[in-house]
Formats: sequence, C-alpha cells, structure tokens
Amino acid sequence: MNESILNNPYNASPFYDEMFSSPGEPRLHYRVLHQYLQNMTATMFEERRRVSDTAFLYQGITFTVYGEEQGIERIFPFDLIPRIIPFAEWQYIERGLTQRVTALNLFLHDIYHDQRILREKRIPSELVFSSRHFRPEMMGMNIPKDRYIHVVGTDIVRSDDGNYYVLEDNMRSPSGVSYMLENRQVMKRTFADLFSRYNVSPVEHYPQELLAALRAVVPHDYSDATVVLLTPGIHNSAYFEHTFLARQMGIEIVEGRDLVAHQNKIYMRTTDGLKLVDVIYRRVDDDFLDPLVFRKDSVLGLAGLLNAYRAGNVTIANSIGTGVADDKAVYAFVPEMIRFYLGEDPIINNIPTYLGWREDELEYILKNIDKLVVKAVNESGGYGMLVGPHASKEERENFRERVAANPRNYIAQPTLALSRHPTFLEDQLHGCHIDLRPYVLYGDKVVVVPGGLTRVALRKGSLVVNSSQGGGSKDTWVLRD
Amino acid sequence: MLSRVAESLFWMARYVERAEDLTRLLAVNFISQLDSHSGDAQQSWQSLIGIAGHDKLFHDTYDKANVRSVTEFMLWGAENPNSVIACITNARENARSTREQISSEMWECINRMYFLMRNTSHSEVLTNPTEFFHQVRDRTHAFQGITSATMTHSEPYQFIQLGLHLERADKTARIIGVNYLPLVQLAGGSAESSLGLITLLRFCSAFEPYRRTVAGQISPESVAEYLLLNREFPRAVLFCLNACLNRLARIGDGASNTTRSDSPRRVLGRLEADLEYLDIHDVLGENMEPFLSNFLVRLNHVGEEIARTYFNTNIILPDERPRQQQQQQQ
Repeated sequence: MNESILNNPYNASPFYDEMFSSPGEPRLHYRVLHQYLQNMTATMFEERRRVSDTAFLYQGITFTVYGEEQGIERIFPFDLIPRIIPFAEWQYIERGLTQRVTALNLFLHDIYHDQRILREKRIPSELVFSSRHFRPEMMGMNIPKDRYIHVVGTDIVRSDDGNYYVLEDNMRSPSGVSYMLENRQVMKRTFADLFSRYNVSPVEHYPQELLAALRAVVPHDYSDATVVLLTPGIHNSAYFEHTFLARQMGIEIVEGRDLVAHQNKIYMRTTDGLKLVDVIYRRVDDDFLDPLVFRKDSVLGLAGLLNAYRAGNVTIANSIGTGVADDKAVYAFVPEMIRFYLGEDPIINNIPTYLGWREDELEYILKNIDKLVVKAVNESGGYGMLVGPHASKEERENFRERVAANPRNYIAQPTLALSRHPTFLEDQLHGCHIDLRPYVLYGDKVVVVPGGLTRVALRKGSLVVNSSQGGGSKDTWVLRD
Repeated sequence: MLSRVAESLFWMARYVERAEDLTRLLAVNFISQLDSHSGDAQQSWQSLIGIAGHDKLFHDTYDKANVRSVTEFMLWGAENPNSVIACITNARENARSTREQISSEMWECINRMYFLMRNTSHSEVLTNPTEFFHQVRDRTHAFQGITSATMTHSEPYQFIQLGLHLERADKTARIIGVNYLPLVQLAGGSAESSLGLITLLRFCSAFEPYRRTVAGQISPESVAEYLLLNREFPRAVLFCLNACLNRLARIGDGASNTTRSDSPRRVLGRLEADLEYLDIHDVLGENMEPFLSNFLVRLNHVGEEIARTYFNTNIILPDERPRQQQQQQQ
C-alpha cells in the first residue's frame, strides 16, 4: 500500500488510452498529472476519495435509482482522476459541435415548416413522419428566433483510431450538467495543488450562459422577463440538478401545479397572487407537457400550455418535437443535414449506422447481431440496447426477434472500441471506457462551455457509461492555450 | 414567491423546531427522572407522550411508558407520525422541494441531521442517550443559525420564521398544559414541587432565563406567567406570537392585494391581544386547562388562515378588472 498507484500499470492495448501513448509513457498534456500520481499511494488516494464522497453525500448530490426499493439515493460515483483535453483538440470539438447544432436547428425548423429537405429527398420523409417524437402540432408554428434546441448534450466518443465520433445528440432535455459543475468544485477542493499546476478553462459560468440563452428567446421585448424551470418534482431522478440550475440562475423552479393557463397566457401562483411567466425551461418530456394535447393522464404539465406557446405568449425551451432529431434512425442523416443546410462537410463524424428500416441493412443487422451494438431508436439512458459481443445467446435471439418484428425501431452500429482512461478502482488504476458529453447552448449564438461530463464505465470491461447502468463520472479539464 | 414554496419553507421550519422540542423533552426528562422514584419516573415518561399527543398510538405498541419505550417511540417509532426521525425526514423533503430557495449551507446541515438520525445505532443511543440528544440539539440550533446567517431575510425567510414561532408557541403551550396542574397540586415550596417546576422550565430551556428574571421562591404561578407572558424569552408564548405578527407584517408588505393578507393578521392579532391583556390570575389553577385548550384551538385556526391565504390561494385573474371596464364602455 506504500507504493505509488502508478506502479502497477494495466495493459492499455488494444484500446486508445487517453493518458498513455505507450506503456508507462504519458501523453504530453498528462505529464504533470502523471508526475503528481507518482507520489501518491493508494492509501492517500483513498483518503481524498473519502473526503469527496462525503461532500457529495452531505450536499445531497444524489440521484434516485428507479426500480429499487423506494428511497434509495445514491451518490453518482465520481472518479478523482481528471480527464484532460488539450486546447487544440477542444477547438476542433467546439467547431464540430457548433456546426452540428446549427444544422440540427435548421433541420427542425425545416421539417416543421417547408420540409425542403424531405421534398428534395435528401432524407426519406417516411422516416421523419414515422418517428415517435415528430409532433404534427408544431407544424407551421413560428417561435422566437426560430430556435428549437436551446440546450443540447451531445455524446462524443473516441475510438481506437484516435478520432472523435458523435454517438448521439440529446436534444430533449439532456441532464448531467450539474455534475460537470459539482465535479469541478470537488476537484478544486480535494486536488487544489494539482489543479493549480494546470491552466484549466473554467466552467462555472454555465448557468449564466444558460440564463442568457433563455432570455434571448423571450416572446416579447421585456427587460424583466420571468424565466422559470419546470420540473416533474422531487421524485424525478434529476431533481437535484433542476434545483441546482434554478438556484444558480436565480429563477423559480415550478411544478405543473404551480402554473395556471388563462387566455393563452401562463401564470404562476405566488403568495402575492398570479404572476406572468415568459420563458419555461422545461425538464418535463413532451408527452407530459400538456394533457390537452399529449398524454391525457399527465399531471406533470399544464393544460393549455401548447396554446399559450402557439399564441406566442410564452417560450418553451427546448421546443416541442425536437426529439424527432434525436431519433437514432434520423441521426444517421445528420451528416446529410450538414451538407444540405450549410454546404459543409461534417467536422466530427457520425458512427457508421445500419438502419433496420433499409431492407439490405436489416439483413446485415440480423446476420451480424453478435458483432453489433443494436439500439432502439427512441430510447435513451442505456435502456433498450444490446451490446452484441457481450450479450448472451438468449439476449441476442430476443433482440433479433424484436428487430425483425419492428425494423423501423432499431438501428445497429459496429461495437466501438471506446477509448479508456486510468480510473481508481479497488486501490489501483484500471483502464475504464469513457465518453464525453459537452453542453451546447443556443440562444443568440452557439456557446459551448469548455468542459463537459466525462462518463466512465466502472464495471470492468463494460462499454455502457450511463449512470443508470453503473457508470460514474470524472471532471473534464479543457486546457487553455 | 411561489405558494408551494412558501408552504414548504413554513413546514420545513416547523418540523425542525418540532424535532428540537421533542428531543429536548427526552433529554430533560432523562436527566430529571434519575432523581425521582420509579413510580414518578413512569408518570413523567407517560406525560411526555401526552405532550406529543400520541397516547393511543403509543399504547397500541408498548405496554409501559419507561425510558426505553418512550425514547424509542419518540425518536424512531415507525408508528409515530411525529417521531423525531419523521420530523427530520419531512423537514428534509420540504427542504429538497425548495432547494433553489434555501442556501446550500442549510441544505447540507439538514442532510447531516438526517444522516445522523438514520445512521446512529438505536441500541447505543438507548444505552446512553445524552450524547445523542446533544448532537441533535446542536444540529437543530446550527440549522437556525445557518438559516439566519446565510439566507436573505426576504419573504421566504419570513415564512420560515413564521413556521418556527408558530410551532414554538404551540409546543410551549402544550408543555405547560400537561405539566402545570400536577405541580399546582403539590405542596408549595416542597422539594418535589421545586424539582418539578425546574423540570418544566427546562422542558422549555427556560430555567436559567427564568432565574435571572424572576426573584424569590419558584412557584407554579410565576413559572406559568413567565412561560406564557414573557416578552423577551424566545420560547414564551407571547414572545412567539409577537414574532409571528411581525413576520406577517413583513410578508404583507409588498402585497398588491392587501385585503387578502388581512385575515391571518386579524386572527393572530386578536389572539395576541388576548394574551397581551391577560390577567394571569384568571387562568391559574383549575382554569389553566380550559384556557390552554381554547388557546391551542385558536392557534390552530391561525395556521389554517395562513394556509388559506398564502398556500392555497384562490385564483384572482389578473385581467378581470379591465374586462369589466370594457363592458361598461359598451
């Protein structure tokens, strides 16, 4: 226990290791960290970890695990070894995300208006119209600044070729940004000495940028617009994040029952009577937003909300029906959107994707299910997916039947060799697979806060990084020039 | 501020205060019964259950009131909706639903309190409870200090203070109600009577303040007067009502709709005035019990008026006035 935690190196190959270019040889931007870890024993490390875990627990930075005994609160496992991204690499990511989000927003505006991209047959219209998240209610509706996606949490991975790829664009209400901010706080507290040796870009201004993006889409020209955050309530697994963001932005957090719709305007009930609401940053899914239009059994939303939105008296962020661009089959066409709307080639590539919807590709999927990752097009959070090489025979059979029965609902991708990052597990370092979720804001212009949530698969060998599937997170340090 | 948030803050404060008061009752009684005969000890534990108002619930589960059964019931009893752990859990849930209003420090404090209650071994506490009682007390005190020091003293803060003082007034009145009459029946000036009165004062953490304020022999009359009518002791009923009135005045301040906010102030103001001009001799002895039950009913009514006015607001539509004017023009 008295030796450095670096003394027992794991075998990095055949994966791309973020820290080591070859065994024992750290990449340039990891050298300072490497040197620092040289002087750190497992006992010392464990002690710092205990401090950070306690901080998370007492600050109530926990999430609720569904499907377990009620009242189970877990802290989101946090690994103290930071992921470091050099400046030039970040610039590339930033350019790629800006391009992608701009094109996606144009796509959403297009399909809810003229549908040029469909008429010119660049994207099959059946695919768009059959998407579960396509909302005909949004057709022809004009919204402030034509902005549909104010907040996007794009998942990016690095493959064994060393290149970044976009895994998915989350445009409904991506969560996790509070962990990006809290992770940074905890790192500054527990590793101040290391932190000060790097020149790390700050992320703390994210909530202010978010507020600015929300204020940019106020329906009228008010100087004192009221922005609120709509939460499903304290039982939602991301409730901590909702309160965190509301507090940092200094806005009210409301539940559906706090709101009243009257003559196409939205009010909140206060101790001082009703107060007009201008922008709703909603963390409630489309389905539950308005029982008059969507699910009738919803008690989380507000009857009359869509009409007020349509009347231009309130702005909803993200807009309704953005999930159509999250559809994993539509994802396959994002490079096409970039070419069509911007006349550019994609900066960050997609992962090659086979659509169950195309007959020849369906055949390929069914034949090669043991090599592929198969995903249901509308699921997220690591649910409804099969990692072929790691699945049992029955699981594969089960998925094969599901895909054959409903090909439109499935896509498949080659099993990616996600890059790995040294991670402290059971008193030594292991290489664990990671991804990266930067947060993109789109108000007046696209803003990418330099950082993001690096999620890490803490089960050895696992490729699934979602918190609901045993994943954890790391602080992400984007270096300054 | 949002009505729902006001309500949650109000109840968060009430629950923390309740947890503190219940713990103090246990702590004081634990020490004082060490001096008394076993029969009296059982009586004293029984009366604690009376203050909490849960005689029936208690006797459904336990045969005898003693240090173990009452401590267990009041701290953790699963069947007791007002156990200390239930109060702290409720306070935490209310705090959670108002996370954006309260300070991070408050939230951290209430979380620590929660984990202290959850993670402490019951058997260890029952063997030697004093240390644990002190920990709970320190945490609840810290919570109130942190609240005052880290939150802006605007409307949300006023609702917290309102809840806290309403709860305190209620608890002090209940403590007097259960303990006063048996003490009057004891021979004045006897050791038994003095010890009983000291315990009563300690239940309200009032012994030292009382001693500094009231000269002469300790008597049921002067203790009752002190706990009911003192204006400077923060757990005296009149002090608490005054505090509530002041808070209400500041909540009403910015109200655009002033008639709406009058109702709680009116019922509370009457109640306060009745205490203010009370002749203590009218309620001494046998008269105390009817007086206090009536007081508690009225105090409860104040709570209802607050809820009706601020928490379950009737919707007054903002554009009703202009519409009427339009109709007149036609």
